[in-house]
Amino acid sequence: MSENEGALSVPDGSLQPGQVLQNRYRILGIIGIGGMGAVYQARDMHFQNVHKLTAVKEMINMAQDQQLREQTIANFEREAEILATLNHPAIPQVYDYFSFGDRAYLVMEYIQGKDLEAILNSTDNFLPVEQIRQWGIEICDVLSYLHNHEPSPIVFRDMKPSNVMVDHHRRVRLIDFGIAKTFQLGQPGTMIGTEGYSPPEQYKGIASPAADLYALGATMHHLLTRRDPRLEPPFSFDQRPIQQYNPDVNDALVAVVNRSLSYDPKDRYGSAEAMKQSLEATITAVAPAAPHQQQPAPAPPPSNMPAPAAPPPAAASVSAPPQPVPAVQYESMQPIWSFKVEDAVRSTPLVYNGVVYVGSYDNNLWALDAQEGGLVWKFATEGGIGSSPVYGGGSIFIGSSDYRLYAVNVRDGKRRWTFKTDGKVFTTPALELGLIFFGSDDGKLYALKPGQTSAREMWHFTTMDPIRSSPAVDKESESIYFGSDAGDFLCVDLSGEMRWRFQTRRSIISTPLVHEGMVYFGSNDWYVYALDAQQGYSVWRQRTRGPVVSSPVYYKGRVYFGSADQSVYAVDALSGREVWKFDTGSQVTSSPAVGHDSIYIGAVDGGLYCLHADTGDVMWRFQSRGPILSSPQIADNVVYVGSDDQHVYALPI
Amino acid sequence: MDLFRRLFQKSNEDNQDKPDTDERLVKTTELPDLPEAIPPESPQTRPLTPPETFRNPSRQIHYGIASDIGRERTNNQDGALTIVTNPEMLGNPPSIALFIVADGMGGHHDGERASAVTVQTIAKQVFNEIILPQMEGPELNADQKTIPEVLSDSFEAANRAVQIAVPDGGTTATCVVVRGNLAYVAHVGDSRAYLIADGNMELITRDHSLVRRLQELGQLTAEEAAVHPQRNVLYRAIGQGDSLEVDAATRRLPPSSLLLLCSDGLWGVLGDDRMAEILMDATDPQDACDQMVREANEQGGPDNITVLLVQMPD
Repeated sequence: MSENEGALSVPDGSLQPGQVLQNRYRILGIIGIGGMGAVYQARDMHFQNVHKLTAVKEMINMAQDQQLREQTIANFEREAEILATLNHPAIPQVYDYFSFGDRAYLVMEYIQGKDLEAILNSTDNFLPVEQIRQWGIEICDVLSYLHNHEPSPIVFRDMKPSNVMVDHHRRVRLIDFGIAKTFQLGQPGTMIGTEGYSPPEQYKGIASPAADLYALGATMHHLLTRRDPRLEPPFSFDQRPIQQYNPDVNDALVAVVNRSLSYDPKDRYGSAEAMKQSLEATITAVAPAAPHQQQPAPAPPPSNMPAPAAPPPAAASVSAPPQPVPAVQYESMQPIWSFKVEDAVRSTPLVYNGVVYVGSYDNNLWALDAQEGGLVWKFATEGGIGSSPVYGGGSIFIGSSDYRLYAVNVRDGKRRWTFKTDGKVFTTPALELGLIFFGSDDGKLYALKPGQTSAREMWHFTTMDPIRSSPAVDKESESIYFGSDAGDFLCVDLSGEMRWRFQTRRSIISTPLVHEGMVYFGSNDWYVYALDAQQGYSVWRQRTRGPVVSSPVYYKGRVYFGSADQSVYAVDALSGREVWKFDTGSQVTSSPAVGHDSIYIGAVDGGLYCLHADTGDVMWRFQSRGPILSSPQIADNVVYVGSDDQHVYALPI
Repeated sequence: MDLFRRLFQKSNEDNQDKPDTDERLVKTTELPDLPEAIPPESPQTRPLTPPETFRNPSRQIHYGIASDIGRERTNNQDGALTIVTNPEMLGNPPSIALFIVADGMGGHHDGERASAVTVQTIAKQVFNEIILPQMEGPELNADQKTIPEVLSDSFEAANRAVQIAVPDGGTTATCVVVRGNLAYVAHVGDSRAYLIADGNMELITRDHSLVRRLQELGQLTAEEAAVHPQRNVLYRAIGQGDSLEVDAATRRLPPSSLLLLCSDGLWGVLGDDRMAEILMDATDPQDACDQMVREANEQGGPDNITVLLVQMPD
């Protein structure tokens, strides 16, 4: 004894081979080292003529406080005695226990084999699902034995792959009961890595049979996915769906593991026996009982959309208010009215004083009654109109591909003046500070001073390339922002002097958005950019998978836009982080309109989508018979939009 | 430094510009009623008296920094760094600044080495790819990385550097780049950044700790978490694996707002309420940092204490 004690007096010193404990257990070597002490292989010297091996588990009492030390030893002895009375093939036999000084020892059956963690680490491949299921069933069996222990259930408390051995008979054995935890103290200093397998309630000191079932679920999740929960945020199994890593696992087995991993113990299996039965049932099961986990099927491709048999009625018809519906069956929407023009409508409607103004590729600027959809007047230009109308000082201003900007009397649709450029005018004019700003395919950004019968050119800013991005004017900083076909994004001051230029990699068609010191725009280089409005350096950029022609809009801290990658995006305005993304199934070059916590946007599939601004869920969808490249406009609870099907539509919100 | 104006008369003792560090000055000034701290799972703002005493007549960024070993540790494993440029030149470039706090962990000096390697790696990359180009007049084109992109890259570089140089060490890292009135935050671990503006003190980082997760799941209250035996367990840190997920956020900094970066040796000891009180009473960022360290030590100084306080221009 004395020589042993001498050896033990070295702090953190482990026993040396040859040392004998209790005049009986001769240490042969170390099997493993845990947080509480080492596990040794030892020979039981009572059996002189045979080589009887034992495992000796050493636990070091690190408690400083005398009362706590005694408590720790008392707990250890009580648990050792309970363990010694257990009788189950998966539980190693306990032969003896003793303690002296600051150390306690448990002498157990020596098991030859490998633990599950070592088995998992011995290959780079997935372990056979069938094997994992079988281990799960066997573990449930022994947990059931422990949990039904009389007079009170025994909780294993530390289920994890390294505590489950597979012996040389290929049978599962539990090797490390929570007894070691008796010796665990809070450690000073920051530590990295969590236990990974324990349920949330165990960190409040609650160790119930349900905790063992969670830890078994965590163990199986680890074995099935090969994703070590100790390296992940705690309790985040639901963020790592099993089949995403290992498609070989069937739905039924996934459902069992997921149920055992419920945060709330009440949502797990009521007993290890119940979990065992469910695991056994998964062998033959075909369909799982977990419909809530299935993703809805994607929306049908637009080609499947049946076209309406007849054009929508022009008469007003009020439909039911929109309701949130599941993603697949979008609520369809009937228009209040529609108006047939003579070619595609890509212009964004303007609603002013009860009249809707919109341009068409039929060369006309149309003025329609906002309530009924009747014709008020139309004004013919000499080229298709892709520009959108704006109102100012009694006039409607609009550009045309006949190279001109027009000012049309709002009351009677008569021309007030025209201004000719050297290229088609696709941009929408911006009216600010008494001036009109617009770009032309001739590569110039014009500043005009409008009068009643004529307009005077104040200045123009020349780029080398067509300008199809409409200018945005920031009154506060007196800056004008626009893009060019060369991919330049420009900031010029009110006298036409360039402040700065930011180069993207492809042409810019998107109209900039200026908000709180930032300017946002899309580029055909697939990015949306957020730049400092003053100095032009980039704050963030967000890459989509297609050109961004759509113009961003701001709403409640987020920026919304569409991409030719078929998606509508909501991103955080300050960081560019994606909040949600909605896949329409076809290109989105229309720009969103926002109102009533909803986003309205058209798509090339002919749909006008109403999406929930917070979630991106589809509230309703309106199907036109041609691509919608026009951007919707909201006024008085009505959405107005044009379509390539040669119609202007008014839809109830 | 008489940059701060006080609106209220204080005792002579309070008015000392540099209190003797050996003298334990605990302020007992009566404060307006402070509402209870709200649990972290709810929006983390709470009303405070606006820090009116914290006035700065200049248009420059001011800051204070302090790092202390504490009373129980044998070495300081924390690391911190500041780079501040306040340019006054043609083109009127914005102020740009970098602030880092890192709390290393690991035995045999691995902790302080991990935090130092991390601070060095991030600082080098941010300086070369953000600060220097900004001073030279930034090229405005899509080839330039944005600040969030540089920060993300620099954290990944730090992660690799720590794995190579200090295989047994790890560290937290909370990093803020300020350019103009925007703060770009990158963060891993349980060091923290707070934004104090418009009368609110708001925690703008999320602890990657076990107890924080338990709080988020409603399993622990803030009070339980504060005394939980495993409150020091992190699930994410630099130097702990090949893949690193970095939290990123961008915040707008109102004029004369404050940014506080600190290790858990400060926030875990003083608590948000006391930190807010000190900030309200402080007259200078450096004094405020010194006082926080002093008070954390007076509370026992169980861990290294690092604090960095940034004051935005008016």
